Order: sequence, then structure tokens, then C-alpha cells
Amino acid sequence: MNRPLSSNPTSRDLHRIDVDDSPVDASGVVGSRHGRIDSLELLTGVGKYTDDLTLPRMLHCKILRSPHAHARIVSIDSSAAEGLTGVHAVITGADMPVRYGVIPWTQDEYPLALGKVRYIGDAVAAVAAVSEEVAKAALALIAVKYEVLPAIIDPREALTRKDVLIHEDNKHGNISKQVTLAFGDVDAALAGAELVIESDYEFHGATHGAIEPHCAMGHVDGKGLLTVWSTTQVPHYLLRELGRVLDRPSHSIRVIQPPVGGAFGGKSEPFDLEFCVAKLADLTGRPVKCLYTREEVFFAHRGRHPFSMHYKTGFDREGRIVAVDGKSLLDGGAYSSFGLVTTYYSGQLLGSPYVFPAYRFDSTRVYTNKPCCGPKRGHGSVQPRFAIEVQLDKAATVLGIDPIELRRRNFIGENSQTIGGFHVGSSGFLQCLSEVERASGWRHKRGNLPKGRGLGIAGSTYISGTNYCIYPTELPQSAVQICLDRSGRVRVFVGTSEIGQGSNTVVATLAADELGVELDDVRVLAADSDLTPVDLGAYSSRGTLMAGNACLAATRELAAKLREVIAKTWDCPPGDVGLAHRKAFRHSDLTVWMPIQEAFILAESQLGTLGAVGSYKTPTENVHGDYRGGTIGASPAYSFTAHVAEVEVDEETGEVTVLSIWCAHDCGLALSPTLVEGQIEGSTYMGAAEALMEHHRVLPSGLRSDGQKRETGPGVDGLLAASSLLDYRMPTSMDVPDLIALIVERPDPRGPRGAKEAGEGPLHSSIPAIANAVYDAVGVRIDDLPITPEKVLAALKRKAEVG
Amino acid sequence: MTAPSPNHAARAATLVTFQLNGEPVTVAAPPHWTLVEVLRYQLNLTGTKQGCDKGDCGACTVRVDGAPVLACMTLAVLVQGRSVETVEGLGVGGEPHPLQRTFAELGAAQCGFCTPGMLMSASAYLDDLATRDAPTVDAVEISAVLGGNLCRCTGYTKIVQAVAVAAREVVERAQTLAEMSNDEAML
Amino acid sequence: MLRLPELEVVIADSLVAALTRLAEGRHVRALQGGTDLVANLKTGQTKAQTVVALGPLSELHGIDTSGEMVRIGAGERLVDVAQNAELQELFPALTYALARIASPQIRNAGTLGGNLCLDTRCRFINQSDLWREAMGGCLKSHGHECHVIPGGGGCVAALSADSVPVLMVLGAEVEIARLQDGAVLLRRTRVADLYDTDGLRHVRIADGELLTAVLVPKLPEGARAVYRKWAVRQSIDFPLVSTAVRLDLDRDGKLKQGKVAVGVLGPRPRLIPLDRWVGRPIDETLAQQVAAQVFDRCHPLPNVLYDHEYRRERLRVEVLRAIRTWFTPTAAAN
Ligand code: SF4
Ligand code: FES
Ligand code: FES
Repeated sequence: MNRPLSSNPTSRDLHRIDVDDSPVDASGVVGSRHGRIDSLELLTGVGKYTDDLTLPRMLHCKILRSPHAHARIVSIDSSAAEGLTGVHAVITGADMPVRYGVIPWTQDEYPLALGKVRYIGDAVAAVAAVSEEVAKAALALIAVKYEVLPAIIDPREALTRKDVLIHEDNKHGNISKQVTLAFGDVDAALAGAELVIESDYEFHGATHGAIEPHCAMGHVDGKGLLTVWSTTQVPHYLLRELGRVLDRPSHSIRVIQPPVGGAFGGKSEPFDLEFCVAKLADLTGRPVKCLYTREEVFFAHRGRHPFSMHYKTGFDREGRIVAVDGKSLLDGGAYSSFGLVTTYYSGQLLGSPYVFPAYRFDSTRVYTNKPCCGPKRGHGSVQPRFAIEVQLDKAATVLGIDPIELRRRNFIGENSQTIGGFHVGSSGFLQCLSEVERASGWRHKRGNLPKGRGLGIAGSTYISGTNYCIYPTELPQSAVQICLDRSGRVRVFVGTSEIGQGSNTVVATLAADELGVELDDVRVLAADSDLTPVDLGAYSSRGTLMAGNACLAATRELAAKLREVIAKTWDCPPGDVGLAHRKAFRHSDLTVWMPIQEAFILAESQLGTLGAVGSYKTPTENVHGDYRGGTIGASPAYSFTAHVAEVEVDEETGEVTVLSIWCAHDCGLALSPTLVEGQIEGSTYMGAAEALMEHHRVLPSGLRSDGQKRETGPGVDGLLAASSLLDYRMPTSMDVPDLIALIVERPDPRGPRGAKEAGEGPLHSSIPAIANAVYDAVGVRIDDLPITPEKVLAALKRKAEVG
Repeated sequence: MTAPSPNHAARAATLVTFQLNGEPVTVAAPPHWTLVEVLRYQLNLTGTKQGCDKGDCGACTVRVDGAPVLACMTLAVLVQGRSVETVEGLGVGGEPHPLQRTFAELGAAQCGFCTPGMLMSASAYLDDLATRDAPTVDAVEISAVLGGNLCRCTGYTKIVQAVAVAAREVVERAQTLAEMSNDEAML
Repeated sequence: MLRLPELEVVIADSLVAALTRLAEGRHVRALQGGTDLVANLKTGQTKAQTVVALGPLSELHGIDTSGEMVRIGAGERLVDVAQNAELQELFPALTYALARIASPQIRNAGTLGGNLCLDTRCRFINQSDLWREAMGGCLKSHGHECHVIPGGGGCVAALSADSVPVLMVLGAEVEIARLQDGAVLLRRTRVADLYDTDGLRHVRIADGELLTAVLVPKLPEGARAVYRKWAVRQSIDFPLVSTAVRLDLDRDGKLKQGKVAVGVLGPRPRLIPLDRWVGRPIDETLAQQVAAQVFDRCHPLPNVLYDHEYRRERLRVEVLRAIRTWFTPTAAAN
């Protein structure tokens, strides 16, 4: 055994990491079993989330919210509130009269409403006081005079009513965005099709339901630096918008994102509270914190858009798609949010994994007087995915083709191009289909299950980040800075947002693997704009691919330096030096090795402080289509998913129980398999919940005189049916099916070590798989989500009557 | 208009003494404060989380006299003389509790926000298991034990697994102890 | 976050002291586990200045199965009643029902008395201040109209206590204490008579009175009860359908007497005697007929958050399934 000792005198008394004499293990950290690197800290109660932070002399902020779905603000008198002992400041819309919005072209929100309120819960004024209780008491003293306007709740009404305008200055009335794109001759193809399936689908609203409510704290220091701590998943966009709204240069703002207690897209743009704490901190000279109540989380929403869809799909005799024609109406709620992107995604993300020889989509997003919709896990594509996957199932039934086989026949292939011009690189879709087919016992079970039981299949695809940033820029989308030193420790500074998905662990895994240390030796410091380089945030499943690539760039540079130094010592080519599990070793002779710490010391003493930066920019060649909108939804690499659901339908009660769901997901390469499984399980659970029980519902007035049967209720539009975690029923541990996560690895050359996304893709096909399984079980189609017992029962009754 | 009193001590705060994670503590609690407020705001034990504040989510679960209860629904003055355990008190002597270890290793904590509450429910189950005559580990029972703790990240699969792995350790320990005492009996 | 409004908290050191404070009026409320009251105070739907914590009162504790009437202290925690081996033996339907209330944490704090006195629930009242303000209130808050039955006679919020239907079919009684001339006076009333049709105050317990115990007569031979609950989730939820069936059979297995109790209708549960079927064997025909009868007589309202027409149909099925447990060994009994 060869144990070369460092002769470096300066490092001799350093306390060394113990490295045992066991044989070199060159296997690396990538692909090994581990949990989140930072979880122990969180689950011993030591880690601090945003609301766990306090600062001396901190004030508490509460926000006054509109009780009207649509109203003009006539006047606000806050003098009584200001006079209340303990109140330090009251602000209203006039204090921040600048519009913001995550998409630069559709900024239509004020931090606090100016002139008008557009949904029940819209923010009107904010108070900073010595305690939450005083702040709440002060809210009651703010006198707001409203002129109530008629409200629009039904998105169809938004299209027709010209007398009610939710945004008066919008050029297109109540239409927030309209996109029509056509590829090929759809009408001709449909006319020539052997079979045309034409159906309406309703996809309902659902919200994220992260257990941590939104929270923000602001502080302005003596030198004028504004620091905002927030539960955001997009600290960079928050920083930009704070700068714009508060008219501050970027360098005078610091955004820190502590660990986030779940987000799922619900924290992916700035919210009223962040602007309020910043403004109030500035005005009062004291730190200010605001923590939402659960109801405010429901108001903030930005959840899944309700879609009304009409789909026409043509097939040939073998079940091959010949044309797809989809028309969707998106209920956007009061503001734009990501709506422009949602509207494009609703069509653009459907172009794979099946070949569409001809395709047209026509999507219209409208404003309504409801909490604003936005991106929820699987942004914009979960709804059309439901429609198309049920369409395929219907075709398979008519044509008598096994639905898995029908999907195989339509597979677009690897290294292919969608009709919209997106480049699909690696694709493990066929393996995903085979995996769920095998694991679920599809072949022997399908058709042989007892009465009331059924199996359903669906497939899908999703992006690993979008090719283009939300604002036009030539700048990198992600960056990493890495240092290592004599301690044997690696420090990674990264802008990504850890929201529970494990982004810190992903970069740590890559760094540990490339630099030959253990995961415990890597410290990740993330999402602090003063300390970490810019990353655009945790949305559109971009983290692993983008930050991973940035991290690889930096670590590979460092690893090369290490190898060179060691190679010199051993007098071998640098390529012969391996780094793994706290050892540097020779590939050609594994008995030659030194502790990695010695290697770091050697390198540091020869080269000085060791650091490297890496950044990532998406490729621009051969990625997307060359037409207006042809870039939106294009990604460097796509993940693929297939689900099989096994359900039991109680024909007496209409109740659907999902017994098991198998989900196979192609994530390119699983850097951290345990985390990938966690994403598959969590996505699938969330999809099943949307399919069966969750519903973010805004009630129309119950006392209308138009003669139509309405729900009983007060004569007010726009109340939330469920605005608590009791009424918004998210499954408990006793309500979840068996979730079987199957990892499929089809490395993509554009992913770091081949990795692609895993956080959102595995939600999509769970919903249509369940719907298709219900049909298999009892022969009824519920095209109108969620699949509730009353709908199933009614459908069964109709079926029995028809005979 | 007369202003309501800004001072939450308008009704005198009461001195409340209780055992907190094994040590006596005395706080001056305003009568309308719940235990979660006292823990988080007065004692800076922020491991106990708030997700809904009205009994719907379980994020605030702590153990009072051993039983998991909701700190957001428990008036602080009513824990006088009782024993309260929070997530901060779970491990012993710097060692994490077996549940903390299995949760971390098996990926049962994603965002970690529901986790302190989960751990308090699960630790009561483990303690109970240890007192049973012939303990067995059953996933259905574990799901029921966690039925009042919502998790939005995991789909519960890995949580149930992590509890089951820790529970099996308890069962094995009980079996070894039983065998040892059998051996002793034979001696 | 949601905070409690300022409150006076009195920890009662004697029953007399508790009753004295409770006699001051509706602004003084009795507090057991607090799992209902604290939530309602936080959302502002219940207003109180003082809560009287009853925890230490020994009069409210104890489970005594020695007599013909089993006595369960009102202050006994739901978990302790549900897990009591003797009670599981004597009244499996009751312990089953209690084990299905809300969540483990709530059963660890909540008490039997608290469940019996659970406030009525309605989707127009179990909301935030802002929500109720936006809708203009209703009879149970600051408004003037009921939105469930507009123009109707009063508040029809739903009794949602899982324990009540079972206790009704078991013929249980409650013991209620009050003070008279400084001495504690007890009265007894049947659970079936405990509730009124006024959703604002549906428990017939006057100011200054306190429910101290529940008394359940032991079942005669041949008698058994079954509880069925339906809610969207298996845990946490209040019932959306809640029904208990009791059948007393003679030696030949024919119906001697029977009744069905139904909760989550309006403020008052419904008790339906099955006299018409006395002497009949317990079979599918009887099950279908009884279920149809319950369907005819019960009209769930759009008060709680679920389609009321479905709840009515589901009630029919749950009654059916409850009765099937008598003749289908595989049907889930409790
Ligand atoms: S039943 Fe009517 S009065 Fe009673 S709470 Fe509901 S809406 Fe209000
Ligand atoms: S915070 Fe206590 S149950 Fe949700
Ligand atoms: S781990 Fe995020 S809520 Fe459970």
C-alpha cells in the first residue's frame, strides 16, 4: 500500500479527515443512494425557514384585502389606523404605483391595488405594527369606500360581456392572451381520417397547497441596503421586480431565500407581501415581517388554470394519429401572472411523445374576477395532456388496439423533431411504457380483473427548463462558483432555489462525484443574491439541467487542476488520475492513492487558492421552431413518463379508489435516485389528488335572476368554496394509493451526465391514466374533472338507462 | 373611535411552568396564546411549524404528556405542570433520533416542513410499540398514525417507509431484550 | 397567522366554580380539548370573553362499566374512550365512531362531551372574517339571511358530531349539571332529546349548565349497532354522511325492534324507528326497504361542503350497507 504523505510544512498540523485503508472505490457519488444533504438540519428543528427568522425590533405586517370581487376604490382613509398605538406605518396602492408581473410584457399588478380591486382577497393596504394582533386591529380601522362593479366568474362570460372590463386598458377586452398556431393541413387530414374522436374536456382548478405559508421579511440597513428574506422560488425575479417597483438599483437589494417548505409553482413570482415588507421596512427604519394566513395562500393561488377543451383527433386504421385539433379556453383569474406562457404551453408542449402529422391549437386565456392562476407543477401542459391521452384511449377502444400498443405506434422517436419544430433528443418513452406494462402486470391483468376493477395507461413528456429566459437576455441562466481548500471541504455557491426538490443535493452530488469527496464534505450555499451567482429560479424543471451543467463546468475545471498536480507527483498522465470517495488514485494501479485532502493541500500549495466558476446558457442551434412563439416551450432536453393506474370503482356509491399507480419516468440519469423516486411519488400523488378530490373553486353568486339553477348561496360573486386545509381536501396518508416509482435512464447529451428533469413530468399522465382506468373498470368516461363519486354514479345511471 | 388595546398583555400574562423537552421552563404566557406561539415566539423553538393555525394540517404537532396534539389548538396556560416535547427534544445527547436518521437517509423529508409534526406523531407510535407485548410493524397502522399530518411533497410513501424502518429497529430491540431475559431466566 | 382574540382563561378548580362562571351567559364558554372552540374563536365565528377550562374536574372523568348504565365522563378524551377495551366489547359501534373522528391529534385532545357539544357546521359560517364579511354574513354571524334556505325559518347548519347518531340508537342519556342555591343539581336527558332545530343553539343546555357524563345502557341480547361515516378523506374530515343503525333480533333472527339515526342533516339529528319491519327477517329486501325509507325521510341540505343530492343517495347506500352486515359476513362491520 502506497500512502504518500504530504511534505507541505504549512499543512502538517492540520487535523486530517480520517481515510481508511480500504481499497479504492471508483464508483462515484452520482447514482448512489442518499437523501437530501440538508435534511437532518431541517428535521432536527435547527434549520430556519423564513418565518423562523426574527430580527431585533422587528415589526409585523398585515394586509387588508378586498371583500369584493370587482370594485372601484373610491377612497381609503387610514388615519384611524395610523393613530392606533403600536402602528408604525400604513401604506396603500398610491405608495407603490408601479405595475409588476413576472413576464415583462404583461405586467398588470400593483403591489397594493390602485384604483380597482379584481378579486376577493386582492390587497388594498398594509400595516406595520408592533405585533400581528395590533396590525390586525389596525386593518379594521382602515375605511375603504368601494363602488362595487359587476363581476365575471364564468370564463365564457368573459368572452361575451363587453360591459364589464376587468383591465380597462387591455387592448383585447377580457382576453388576456390568444394563441393560434397551425402546422400542416389539419382539416384535410381530419377529413381523410379513418376515425375521428371529438370530445369536450373540462379540467378544473387546483392549488399548490405547500404546507409552508408564504412569508417575507424586509430590512434596510444603515447604508441603505435592502434585504428581503422570502419563501420565493424565484429570488432573482423577485430582486428584479423589487428594484423596478421600489426604484432601487439591483446592487442595493439583497434577496435571501431560506429553505422553502414546498412551492410547486405557487411561489414562483413576486407577491404583495414582499413589496410590502420592503416598503414598510424602508418607511419605518425597522425590520418588517409578513406571514400569510392559510386563506391568504389560497388568495395568492397562481394554481392550475381551469381549461375547457374541445379536441378533435384523427386516426388511421392502425391507430396512428393523422391530425390533432385542439381548442382551449383558459380561465386566468384576475391577472396575467405567467399566463402568456401558459397559453403557449397549452399547445406547444403536446407535440411529443407522439407524432402529429398535422396539428392546430387555438388557446384563449381570459381574465375573470378570481384569484389569479399561474404555474402549478406541470405548468400549462397537464390539462391538454389529459385530453389527448383520453382521446388516444377512446381511439384504442374503437379500433380494438391495446392502448399501450397504440401509444408505441405513435412514438415520435429519439433525435426527432416535433411538428412545432422542437428538437427531441434522448427519449426513454418506449422503455417507460414497457416498464409500467411489466410492473403492473398489464398483460395478464387487463381484461381479467374482477368487476369494478380496471387498468388505465397514459404517457407524457415535459421540459427540463425552457430554452429562453422570461426576459430577453444573453446572460447565463445559471451559474456556480466552487472553492476547495486544505480542509478537504468543497464549497459550492449556487443561485438555485431549494424548495424541497433537492436542488442543493443535485449540485452537491455532481461536485462530490467530480472532485472525489463524500457528500458530507460538500457545503452548498444557495440563493443569496449577495453571495451566490445568478440563477433564474426553481421553475419549469430547470434546476438539474441548468445548475447541474454550470456545476459540472466549474468542477471539471477544478478537477483538471487537481489531476495535473497529482499527476506530476506520481509522474503519470493526468488522465490516469481518478478522484472518488475521498481518495485520489491511479486508474491503472488502484493501489496507488492518496487521501483527497492531501491532494487538495498539494494543489492549494502549488496553485494558490482553488476556485472555479461555471455557467450555463441554453443551446441555440437546433432547438425550436422558427416562427412567432416557436421558442416558447422549447427545452434543451425532455423527460418522458408513463403511468398505469389500477382502480376500483364502487358501483353503488360511484366512489373511485386508486389501488396502485406505477409510474416510469425517464430522467436521463438519476443523479440521486432516492430523490428522483421522491419526485415521481410526490408528482403522482399530486396528480391522483387532482384527478379525484381537489378543487380550487370560486363560487358564482347564488341569487341570480337569470332562471338558471345555481348553487344556494349569498348574492355575491367570487367567494372561494374552500379556503382552508379542511375544506380544500388534500389526501392524507390514509388516502394515497400504492405509488410505485420506476426510474428509466436514457441519458441526454445536453443534460449534466445525461440528467433531465424529474420534478414535474411524473404528474402529467397520472390523471388520464386514472380516467382511463375508470373506463376500463366500469365503462364510463368522466371527461369533466375531478372524477367525483356523484359524476361516476350519474354516468353509471345514464349508461344503465341507455342499456 | 377608541382604539383596542395594542398590548397583548392587556389581560395579564400568566406564569406557566412545564417540562419542555425534559427540562423545567417558566414563561409568562398571555392567556389567549396557544402553545405554538409560546414555543416559536417566546422560546425560539421554531422547529414546530404552523401550516394552517386551526387544526387542519398537523404541522404544529407536539407531544403533551406523551400524546401528539396540535400546538395551535392548545392554550399555553393549560400546559401548566405538564410535559411538552418538541422536535428539538427528539434526539439524545447530540445523536439524532432513529426517526430523524431514517427520514434523512430514505428521503422521507423533501421540503421538511411537515416533518417535525410527522416525527412527533411517529415517535409516539414508536414509544407505544416498545410497550407492546408482541409488536409487529404494519404499514396500514403507520398510515393511520400519521393520518393527521398532511404532507404535500412526498405522497407519504417514503415517510411510511422511514417510520417502518425505525419501527422495525424497535421491534428487533424488544425481541433481543426478550431473548436476553429468557436466557437470564434459564441461567 | 391566525391568532386568538384576547380572552380570559379560567381554569376551573371545582365544578361549582365552573358552573358559577358559566352561568354568566354566552360570553363564557366551557372548554374541554378545545379542538372545536379554539378553531371557531380563531376564525371569529364564535365570540367569547372567557373560557372556562374544565380539564381538572374529576366529576367529568372516569369510565364505569359496572352498572346496567355505563357511565363515561364527559371530559374523557376521545382516544381513551375509543381504546377502552371494555367499551370496545360492549359498544363496538361507539368506539368505532369515536376512532373515526378527525385525526389522532384531535382525538388525543378532544373529549366525548366536546364532541356532543360540537358547534353546528356550515360552509357559510366555517370561514374567515373576510369571507363572512364579503358575503354579508348570515343568521349565525352578523347577517340577516340564511343562504342555505333563503327566506327560511332559521339557521340549519349541520350537526356533525360522529358520536351522536350511535349514542342515539344506543338509547344513551347525558347528565347535565347546574347550580341551585349553591348546590350542584343534576338532570338527565336522552341524547335523542338533546338537540334542537336552531342551528345557532342546537344543544339544549342552558347557560350555567354543563354536560358532565354520558350514560349508555348495556345492550340486551340480540341487539347490535353499526355506525357508518362517509367523508371525502379517511382522516381529518368531519362526516358528510353519518348514520347509525341498531337492530334487536329475537331468537329466530327476526326483528324485535330497530332504529336508524342520521346526522349531518340540519342542526338536529333524526331518529327513525323501524317498527314497520318488526317480525321480519333481516335480509336484502328489508335492507333495501329501510334504506329507501331513510332516503325518503332525510334531506341533506346544501349546508356542508358537498353536493347534497349525492349525500342523500350516499346515505341510502350507507344504511343499506350497515344492515347488510347482519347477513353478509364479509361486509365490514364495526
Ligand atoms: S345554515 Fe344558514 S344561517 Fe346557518 S350558518 Fe349556514 S347560511 Fe348561516
Ligand atoms: S398549524 Fe396546527 S394543525 Fe395546522
Ligand atoms: S416534506 Fe414537504 S410537506 Fe412533507
